[in-house]
Amino acid sequence: MSAAPRERSAPRGGGGPLVAWACLQLALGAMLAIWGEEVTALLFLGGALPLLVVAAWNHRWPPSGRPRLLSRVSVPVVLLALGAGIGAIGFTGGLWLGLIGAEIAIFAAVWLAREIVLEQRAARRSAVAPPTAVAR
Amino acid sequence: MAGGAPVAVEVERGAGLERGLAWLVATDHKKTAAKIAVVSLFFFLLSGLLALTMRAELAQPGLQFVSDHTYDELFSMHGSGMIYLFLTPAALALGLYLVPLQIGASQIAAPRLALFGFWIYLIGGVSMYSGFLTDNGAGSATWTATIPLSDSAGTPGVGMDLWVIGVGLATLGSLLIAITILFTILRLRAPAMTMLRMPVFSWTMLATTFTVVAAFPVLIGAMCLLLAERHIGGIFTGSTGSIAYQHIFWFYGHPVVYVMFFPFVGAVGETVATFARKRFFGYRALVVSLLFFTALSMAVWGHHMFITGAVKNQYYALTSTMLAIPAGIEYLDLIGTMIGGALVFRAPMLFALGFILQFLIGGLTGIIVASPPLDYHVNGSYFIVAHFHYTLFAGSLFGLLAGLHYWFPKATGAMLRERLAKASFWVLVLGANLTFFPMFFLGYEGMPRRVADYEPRFGDLNLLSTIGAGVIAVGILMVLGNMVLSVRRRIPAGNDPWGAQTLEWWTTSPPPLRNFTSLPPIRSYAPLQDLREAGEEREERAEVAA
Repeated sequence: MSAAPRERSAPRGGGGPLVAWACLQLALGAMLAIWGEEVTALLFLGGALPLLVVAAWNHRWPPSGRPRLLSRVSVPVVLLALGAGIGAIGFTGGLWLGLIGAEIAIFAAVWLAREIVLEQRAARRSAVAPPTAVAR
Repeated sequence: MAGGAPVAVEVERGAGLERGLAWLVATDHKKTAAKIAVVSLFFFLLSGLLALTMRAELAQPGLQFVSDHTYDELFSMHGSGMIYLFLTPAALALGLYLVPLQIGASQIAAPRLALFGFWIYLIGGVSMYSGFLTDNGAGSATWTATIPLSDSAGTPGVGMDLWVIGVGLATLGSLLIAITILFTILRLRAPAMTMLRMPVFSWTMLATTFTVVAAFPVLIGAMCLLLAERHIGGIFTGSTGSIAYQHIFWFYGHPVVYVMFFPFVGAVGETVATFARKRFFGYRALVVSLLFFTALSMAVWGHHMFITGAVKNQYYALTSTMLAIPAGIEYLDLIGTMIGGALVFRAPMLFALGFILQFLIGGLTGIIVASPPLDYHVNGSYFIVAHFHYTLFAGSLFGLLAGLHYWFPKATGAMLRERLAKASFWVLVLGANLTFFPMFFLGYEGMPRRVADYEPRFGDLNLLSTIGAGVIAVGILMVLGNMVLSVRRRIPAGNDPWGAQTLEWWTTSPPPLRNFTSLPPIRSYAPLQDLREAGEEREERAEVAA
């Protein structure tokens, strides 16, 4: 009697469509280069790169299936966005606005780092059962 | 069938805060999606008001309400608002809400990143619109900010700077949200949920994220360069500067049209399959066509530049015309799903049919502008305005409304009022066609776009268009009224009010924090349909045995 196949707890693959899509891009970009627009073809070919990187990353580090850390709320993330946004508007609003934005962003980044560390500690102390399958 | 998807460990810190300000800082994907939906709706109404003001100005020849410069601001902010702040984020919000539910995930990947994306998008939108409060007004260099119109000499003032920064931020926000959806699909699917068991809508969202990840960083870069050009100069100068900017912009500008299209094709596909009481026809063909469609959509940007004479017209005409192939496959699949089905014409199905028929007009006129000789004739005219409003309003918005009416019971637990929904559909169909169909004739006869005044011979058709815009406004108010009424006086929806096929209808309405307490067996992209058929088979066997 053979043992039942081990249940996987994480999805497998998923990078195939990314690679297929990137290959289509490369073919279309090469076609444009052959047609004589070499510079713009380079811009076009660059578009495929992020997805190839994601596909490679996903292949190299597949999902572990382990429980993930999640916070229900995150105030520092919102502050970080506000800081970044205000800092960006500082490009036209003046250096003072940029500096205020940068200060908020740095404060929020430190707070966020602390939040993540505290969460990881709390998560180690808790355990949650996965959702169960319905019997056939 | 295996058990659950990777499960989140919920950290209870902040649970008290969640009950108060919670909504604004909550990381749950459903709440983040709801925040994006509410903000994008606000920007839609704001941009719609600008459109109504424009149509009031254009009702008759001669300047009545606004000056030329104000009119420039109106159409620039209307286009920018609708594309950067409404349709793109709304499409992503739909995906952010539904993709984890459809693939059996308990949460999204990187929920903090999605929350960050939402806030960056909101700040971007506020920045764009705050230009109205500045001395020279808001950005007025069209939604494309073409050089030299958008440089510091063409559009001086802080308002245009705020527009450039706002577009950059809003696009960054959309990019981050799309990244979370992409990684959710790649890494958090339920164990039995293989790629070819993902529902149609999730596939369209995957294709959408490909386009976003490849094209949106280019626009963010373009906005950085444009800001530098306005303050430092020397970037888009000389005879090639304008062409270089156009290449960079349209490398984003055309693919974004498909970001505002694919999710709604998915929504319509799900709706049609449910209300035809049939499995989706040609699922695998749709998947292949989606990949081909998105890749091809990245290769057609030059057709916006036919008249510059600086692009290889043959290449872009070929790729643009080839778009008809995957589009045809998708139409074939949608029609094939309906053929032989037991069609039920509920409100979501009506909106889906509206999408299919009206987008066809936009798509077919797209073939016209994909041909350089024909494009030379209609470029810069109202024909183009009609074409893209048939794709984006009469098409995409109807697709969005199909999705909204279809998934509203899931998100809120309440049914929409059916009669009011159907009435709003017919009002919107009337309004959309009354507004945009006359524009084909106006454009063909030579009325240029982006003008506050025009020759008297165009007066009658413009008046029709303006009346149509008013009818659209009534239709939109009816939809909003229906939503408010249905939430306040609830008719409970239950888990699956439509007899749908996909996984999101397995869980409660609205779904709990972790989306699922259990998962059904997943053997195809339609697990609930599988269960239904298995139940029917058991009943038949029992009858035979009896």
